[in-house]
Amino acid sequence: MNAKANKNQSSCIEPSYYQAVTQAIRTQAVQVLKDGTVAGVVGYLPGRRKGTARPALITTPEEAEKLIFSPACVNNLSVYLTKSKKGVLKQGRIGIVAKGCDMRALAGLMGESQIKREDLFIIAVDCAGVYGSRAERSESVTEANIARKCHECTVHHPEGADFVAGAATELSGLTPLEAEEMARIEALPQAERWAFWKEHFSRCIRCMACRQVCPFCYCEQCLCDKNRPQAVENSPRPAGNTAWHIVRAMHLAGRCGGCAECERVCPMDIPLNLLNRRMAKELKELYDYEAGLAPAEKGPLNQYKEDDDQSFIK
Amino acid sequence: MSRIGVFVCHCGENISRTVDVEQVASAAGEIPGVAYACDYKYMCSDPGQNLLKKAVAEHKLDGVVVAACSPRMHEKTFRKAASAAGLNPYLCDMANIREHCSWVHEDKKLATAKASDIVKLMVERVKKGKSLAPITVPVTKRALVIGGGIAGIQAALDIADAGHQVVLVEREPSIGGHMAQLSETFPTLDCSQCIMTPKMVDVANHPNITLHTYSEIEKVEGYIGNFQVTLKHKARSVDESKCTGCGICMTKCPKKKIPNEFDQGHGLRTAIYVPFPQAVPNTPVIDRENCTMFQSGKCGVCAKVCGPGAVDYQQEDRFSVEAVGAVVVATGFKLYSIDRKPEGSPIQGYGEFGYGAIPDVIDGMTFERLASASGPTGGKILRPSDGKEPKQVVFIQCVGSRAREKGISYCSKVCCMYTAKHTMLYHHKVHDGQAYVFFMDARTPGKGYDEFWRRAVEEEEAVYIRGMVSRLYQKGEKIVVMGSDIQVGVQVEIEADLVVLATAVQAQDGADLLAQKLGISYDKYNFYSEAHAKLKPVECATAGIYLAGACQGPKDIPDTVSQASAAAAKVMTLFSKDQLERDPVVAKVNEKYCVGCLACKKVCPYGAVEEKEIRDRQGNLVKVVAYVNPGVCGGCGTCQATCPSKSVELDGYTDEQIMAMIESL
Repeated sequence: MNAKANKNQSSCIEPSYYQAVTQAIRTQAVQVLKDGTVAGVVGYLPGRRKGTARPALITTPEEAEKLIFSPACVNNLSVYLTKSKKGVLKQGRIGIVAKGCDMRALAGLMGESQIKREDLFIIAVDCAGVYGSRAERSESVTEANIARKCHECTVHHPEGADFVAGAATELSGLTPLEAEEMARIEALPQAERWAFWKEHFSRCIRCMACRQVCPFCYCEQCLCDKNRPQAVENSPRPAGNTAWHIVRAMHLAGRCGGCAECERVCPMDIPLNLLNRRMAKELKELYDYEAGLAPAEKGPLNQYKEDDDQSFIK
Repeated sequence: MSRIGVFVCHCGENISRTVDVEQVASAAGEIPGVAYACDYKYMCSDPGQNLLKKAVAEHKLDGVVVAACSPRMHEKTFRKAASAAGLNPYLCDMANIREHCSWVHEDKKLATAKASDIVKLMVERVKKGKSLAPITVPVTKRALVIGGGIAGIQAALDIADAGHQVVLVEREPSIGGHMAQLSETFPTLDCSQCIMTPKMVDVANHPNITLHTYSEIEKVEGYIGNFQVTLKHKARSVDESKCTGCGICMTKCPKKKIPNEFDQGHGLRTAIYVPFPQAVPNTPVIDRENCTMFQSGKCGVCAKVCGPGAVDYQQEDRFSVEAVGAVVVATGFKLYSIDRKPEGSPIQGYGEFGYGAIPDVIDGMTFERLASASGPTGGKILRPSDGKEPKQVVFIQCVGSRAREKGISYCSKVCCMYTAKHTMLYHHKVHDGQAYVFFMDARTPGKGYDEFWRRAVEEEEAVYIRGMVSRLYQKGEKIVVMGSDIQVGVQVEIEADLVVLATAVQAQDGADLLAQKLGISYDKYNFYSEAHAKLKPVECATAGIYLAGACQGPKDIPDTVSQASAAAAKVMTLFSKDQLERDPVVAKVNEKYCVGCLACKKVCPYGAVEEKEIRDRQGNLVKVVAYVNPGVCGGCGTCQATCPSKSVELDGYTDEQIMAMIESL
C-alpha cells in the first residue's frame, strides 16, 4: 500500500486532505466508467444541506465529477449491493467507495456468498476518520467530534482494494472510548450489568433501523419477522426487545466488521456497537479471529478443526 | 382437531414404581387433541401392541404417542405397530418416561408431573408432525478395513471370502501388526509367526483384497452404504509394481546401523528396508530421515543395484479415493512407555523406575523379541546392556494399568497371561535362571488360561510375589528391585540382571484423530466406543462403521479374532441387501426465504448441502440457494440451528413442532 502510518502531530485533520481524496476518487471513478470497467459506482454525493453527504449510485462520467469524500461520508455503502438493492450488481461490475471499516463488511459478504470480488471495483479510502453523530458539519475533524468507532480504528489504511484514494495521517493519542466503556461495564457486578442493558433495551422502539442499515442483516425474511412459529415477539415490549437484541448480537458474532452503523442510526441511542465489540473481543480471545480482514470461507463459529479444544467433551 | 392416542406403559415396575401411570394417562386424556389415552403393563408385548392397533381403528386416531422407554429401545416396534394399523409410522412418537424420568427420579409426585409434561410435549410434536416416507439409498458392496494387524487381517479375509471386495489399509510398510512381533502365544505356546504369516500371505494373494500398506486415512465422507474415503499413500520411494523383492538393495545399503522398530530398537536395519523378513508385501521402503541420499544427496547405491529400476527418489505422497459401503476399524494398540510425560498430561511416567533410563529394564514386547527365534539375539535371552545371559529376572505386572494415580484405571487384560508365558519361555531357555513376578492379582479368565498360569507357578518354578515394586535402581551390573510381599508382610529386595515391565495397553497414537475423521466416538483413553456395551459390541454408534480388536479396548488374540469375525458378519449383513432404507428425518430448505449465505454448507458434517441455482422461465438466474441431498443428510439438525433466517428445517423436528412443544409447558 502507498499509505504510510505517519502519526499526525496536529489536533485536527485539515479539510484539504478530504479534498485530495475527493479528487482522487473522482479521477478514478471517471476513468473506470469511461473505459467500461464498471457499469456504475456507489459513492457519496453532496447532501442538500451544506457539509452533508448522501449515498448514490452513479452511472455516467459526468455524475462522477460530483462525487465527494468528506467527514460526513459516514454511511457504509456495502448495503447498497445486497438486500433490496440486489439489482445494482445485476447491471454489471460495480465500483464502490469504501472506508476501511466498510471494506471489512465487503470481505464478510464475499465470505458469505452474497457478493463476488470479481463483480466489484473497490475504490478504497485511506481514511483519517469521519464525524460522530453530534458533530457540526462545518468543523474540521478533531478528537471532540470524530466518531466513537474512529477512536480505535485499526483499518485506516485498507488493503486488497483495486484503488486507494489518499494517504491519511490520522489523529494520534485518541482515547479508546469504547474499550474503556466496555471495561467499565465488564467490571460491574452481573446484576448491574443486567440492569444496564435492561434499561437500554427497554427504550428500544423496534424501528429496526439497526437491522436495515446492517450489511450483514441481508436475510429476505428476518427470523424476527416470522410468525409461524414466532421466535421473537415483534412489538416493543421488554421480553421481545431483549430477545431481538440478543439475536442481533449473536447473529453478528464473528461477522460484524465494526462499522457501527447500527449505533449511528439508532434513534434511541442504544449503545449497540458495544455489544458488537464485546462479541468481537470474545472471538479474538477464543479463536484469535477478527472478522472481515480477508474474505474467509469459514469463520471460526461455523467450522470444526481437529485441533479445536476438545477438553469439554471428554 | 387432531385425534391423538396416548399409550402409557408401566414397563413392569420400571416406570410404575416411580410414576403414577394411571394419573399420567388420565392427564393425557385431558390434553386438547387427545382422543384416547390408556395405560398398560407391557406396551411392547403382543397384547400391548394389539391394544394400540385396535385403538387406532376404533378411535380413528391420526397420531400416536407411546409413553414408555427411550426411542432407541422401542420406537421401531411401535412405529411398525402403528404402520400395521394404517398410520404413517412417523406420526408415532415415543415419550421417554423411563430413562428420562422414572429411572432417574425418586419422588413419585414430582416424577409423575414430569412424565405428564413429557407426554404433553410429544403430543404437541405429533400434532404438528407430517407423514413421511422412508428414503432408500444404494449400498456399495465393498468394505474398507483400517489396520493390518490380526484383527484387520481376519475381518478382511472373512469379508473377502464371502465374495465382497475389501480394501485393507495399513500405515506401516507391512501388515502383521503386533502379533507378528510375538514369539510364542498363550495358552498353547505355539509360534506366533507360524500361525500369523500364512494369513498374511492369504491377504496378499486373495483376489478380493486390495492391500494398501504404508498408507493412511486422509478423509472420510459419506454415510452407511456410501462412504468416500481418501487414502494417503505415503511415498515409499520404491515402485511397488516394479520391485521383485529380491532384497539386493538392503544388502548393499551402506547405512546399516539404524535401530529396528520391529525389534523394539534392539536389532539393526538398513535405510532401505522391510520391517521383517516375512513382511507382506515384501517391498522395501526408504526411511528418508536416515537415508544418505535424502539427507545429503550423495549415495544412490540402492538405485544403482536395483535390477528392475524400482527405486524412485522422486516419489511423492499420492492420494486415492475409495468408494466403500462399510468400514471396519482395527487400528490396535500401543504399549505404555514409562518415560516422563509432557507437563499437564493426565498420564504419569514412572519416576520410581528411573523413567526408562536403565538399559536392562525392558517392556514385555522387547522380551518377546529377545525370546523370538527371528529376534535380534536369535532367540537367546540376553540382556541389552552387555549381552550377558540374565540369571535373575524380575517381571513386574500392572505397570501403568490399574494405577488410577498414574492416570490409567483399566486392566490391560493380557499382561497376567503373557508374563506367565514369559517366565516359562525364560525357564525353557535359561535352565539355571530364576524368574520372579511382582503381581497384584492373576487374572486368568479364558479357556485353558488358569491352567496355564498354574503351570508357570507350579511346574516352571516362577516365584510369584504378591505386591508392588516401589523403586528400581542400578547398582553395578545389577538392578536392585525394591518391593513388598504383602502376603508375608515383608519388604523384598532382589538384585536382578533383567527387569521386564508388563506395561499397559493403550490406544494407538492418533486414534482420536482417526475417530474424528470417521465421526465415531471414543473414551477418555482414546479407545473407540461401541454402540452398546452388551448388545452392540462391534458396531459404532455411527452407522456402517464397525470395530475389531484392541482399538476398542485391551484384548487378547482369541477375543480379537472373534470380534473381527463378528465385525465381518455385520458387514456381510449390511451387504446382503441392495438398498438401504433410511429414516426420512432429513433437512429441507425453504427456497423462498433462503438467501444463500451457505452457512449450512459450511457446518454440515455430512457434506449434504449443495448450491442450487433458481432460474426464471427465461433462464435468468434469480438467486442461489442451499439444497440438501436427502441421501446424504444425516439428520443432525446442525444446519437448522445455524441458519440465521430459519430457512432450513429437519423433517420431524421443525421449528413449528419444537416451538409448540416449548409453548405447551
